[in-house]
Amino acid sequence: MEEKLTIDSTIKCDVLVIGAGGAGLRAAAQIGELRPGTKIIALTKVTSPQKSHTTTAQGGMAAVDPKDPEDRPIFHMFDTWKGSDCSADQNVIKTVCNMGWEEVVWLERHGMHFSRTGEGRIAKRPFGGHMLNFGEKKSFRACYEATRTGKGIMDTVWDECLKYGVDFIGQCIATELLFEGDRCIGAIIFRYPEGKFFAILAKATIVATGGKTKMYQVNSNCRGNTGDGLALALNAGLPVMDLEAVQFHPTGMVGPGILASEALRGEGAILRNKDEEPFMERYAPTAKDLAPRDLIARSIITEIREGKGLFNEDHNAHHVWLDLRHLPKEVHEKKIQEIESFFRRFVGVDPEKELCPVTPTAHYQMGGIPTNEYGEVQRDSKIIVPGLFACGEAAAASLHGLNRLGTNSLLELITLGKVTGERVVEYLKDAEDPEALPPDAGHIIFDQFSTYLNSQGNEKYAQIRDTLRNLMMEKVGIFRSEKPLTEAIETLKELKEKAMQIQIGLTSLQTNQDIWQIWELNNLITVSMVIAQGALERKESRGAHFREDYPERSNEFNYHTLVYMPEFNKITFGKRPIDMSMLEAKGEHFELFDYIERKY
Amino acid sequence: MSKFYNIRLEINRYDPDTQLSWIQTYQVEVGGILRFVDVLRKINDEQDPTLAWASSCEHAQCGSCGIIVNGKPLLACELLVKDAVEQFDTYTFRLRPLTVAPVLRDLVVDLEKAYDRVHEAKPYLIKPAPLPPEGDEYRISQETLETYIEATQCINCFCCATACISSHRHFLGPNVTMANIVRLMDPRETEKNERMDILYREDGVYRCHTSRACSFVCPKEIDVSHFLALGKEGKF
Repeated sequence: MEEKLTIDSTIKCDVLVIGAGGAGLRAAAQIGELRPGTKIIALTKVTSPQKSHTTTAQGGMAAVDPKDPEDRPIFHMFDTWKGSDCSADQNVIKTVCNMGWEEVVWLERHGMHFSRTGEGRIAKRPFGGHMLNFGEKKSFRACYEATRTGKGIMDTVWDECLKYGVDFIGQCIATELLFEGDRCIGAIIFRYPEGKFFAILAKATIVATGGKTKMYQVNSNCRGNTGDGLALALNAGLPVMDLEAVQFHPTGMVGPGILASEALRGEGAILRNKDEEPFMERYAPTAKDLAPRDLIARSIITEIREGKGLFNEDHNAHHVWLDLRHLPKEVHEKKIQEIESFFRRFVGVDPEKELCPVTPTAHYQMGGIPTNEYGEVQRDSKIIVPGLFACGEAAAASLHGLNRLGTNSLLELITLGKVTGERVVEYLKDAEDPEALPPDAGHIIFDQFSTYLNSQGNEKYAQIRDTLRNLMMEKVGIFRSEKPLTEAIETLKELKEKAMQIQIGLTSLQTNQDIWQIWELNNLITVSMVIAQGALERKESRGAHFREDYPERSNEFNYHTLVYMPEFNKITFGKRPIDMSMLEAKGEHFELFDYIERKY
Repeated sequence: MSKFYNIRLEINRYDPDTQLSWIQTYQVEVGGILRFVDVLRKINDEQDPTLAWASSCEHAQCGSCGIIVNGKPLLACELLVKDAVEQFDTYTFRLRPLTVAPVLRDLVVDLEKAYDRVHEAKPYLIKPAPLPPEGDEYRISQETLETYIEATQCINCFCCATACISSHRHFLGPNVTMANIVRLMDPRETEKNERMDILYREDGVYRCHTSRACSFVCPKEIDVSHFLALGKEGKF
């Protein structure tokens, strides 16, 4: 079938938000608050912003309460710097940690249902890597709403946007950014229900498309976390930064990949191999099952590689066991009942009687579209792209560098979302309406869709997806080294070729799940290529990036990796210096913000 | 290792291009701990790429994958094959789309349209209480929070609205009504009048026939009918 692809109509607005999760809508709410009447359109792939991936975040949002007699923002800044393995940007760390509490209060005042203390104040709990007095003892700074903090945050920012009259367009993807000279003036979008393309002209555009680890066989991401925003930027000739930094949570449930929280091991759960040996004793004799996430993840994979893991045929995944059987009944019933219920519900095992299958799960990507501390997208380490902003997991400012502390991601969404919103309001003061739709608008996506629709090939979508996901897990996953990475890059080239030759099942554009998924698969392959190339280039181990052939951190790599890929595998590397302004300012405890050791 | 099951799915199909509807049968061999979303994906992968269904988080936290299985509305992401076989005592499953919004294709309904009703409940604080004199956050006791926190877990999957015996045209629906009641119970909301107007309007809480179907099907195990009862009583 040869159907001519056209743009149905053009919609105009002041601000276009691509991705209506926590970060995008915090930005939108800020714009609504500061500049009432601003016409904001927020796009989401799902049916309502309430269904965004932010809603699955469990643990909490880190913030130092000024009324806490022991905790101080500088401790939080230090923890974040140290946790990043000295690769986050200190200007961003400072801004975010200083803003944390006011943003928690903002959420609360706007209706979030935080858990409470006996005095009716917001309750706080400890979380890995968050300490008092520069690593001395654990701090209580994770503000939470039971085990659904992300949902509380998502509902609140969505509610605020409803209040300000933000227009939501659901079930759509942004397929191409539009430019007038250097300035971004909106995007082409494709709506799933009608199968139509629309152009949106905007004075300012915010990319907040969220996470992108769906290319790993086991992952905790939602179905739509396919790196679309990054592919948009790359296609527009813009760079992405630090994509090699992928965080694996050591204990994902086999097979849905949902986190089996550290809280279980905190209560005494033990990891065991197929001989039921408590293997962490060998890898971390002191900390054992409570060693840092990355160390446990590597230990599990080592066990599996040495043939001491197990294999689940239903989900086609290797795993080890998490043993909770010995825990007292009271712990099962009172302390971990909710997380335990996930095992019953999604895996069909009873943790009180049976061993639970777990395996490392790709959880978060620290890298993203490079921005400055105000959420303005950068073309390189110095030049910004007028009219284009990014925040949330899609962006890298960078608060996390190559490794993220738990509860710092929800904090980032909200703080940098707000900062980005403020900057957009500044930008709107002098911004003019885009003149007209660029004459070639739509050419990128029309080319892509025509290829998919008219493919004469007989490649299978599922086969390519599964090959990709196994490849990334095995060769670009927790352990990396030159040979497998080089092989992975070669395979990715083949997969890209094959992805252009998929036999499509449905050629109508209306609610066409097939074409939607093929488009996503192409984005995943694109982002995977950048991850693999970045991982090959970074010949050191730092944070979540571990090279078996270069197991130590190296000062030679004290920078952020920028990658440009305007065409598939046409790679140019760049560098962005790490911001060391806290060290350079020579303020209080500045010496701790040097390249210090990451030891716990 | 769980055993393998040979199950038969009879699925409602709808093609928006031809506007034809039919029931299509798929025979699948699957492991018992696969979930219905995994089974649908397997059908796409191995038998029929054109079968459309919806999901997002697949953690029972977004409410995108609601479908009707053998008459019961539920989330496809948390129904394990072995549990389904046990619960429904059959190897044959009839899958239909939710009834709260127009069908776009096969099992996919236009939840965006269903959400228009949620927006009518104004889930935000319409008029927040004056800021607390101590500064910072509002103080809410654990006891007060306990009275309504359960209802805030609602993910708007519309399973309750599908099971509800009141007509969708004449009732805002259990989840939407509950969203309004939550804010009536929230001490930070001072705009009670407008909320009462929403609660008691023509398609408001009294259209509920108290079948309690909502409470029985809620995937988050919220006792929805309890909150609706509070609304009917005017007890917040």
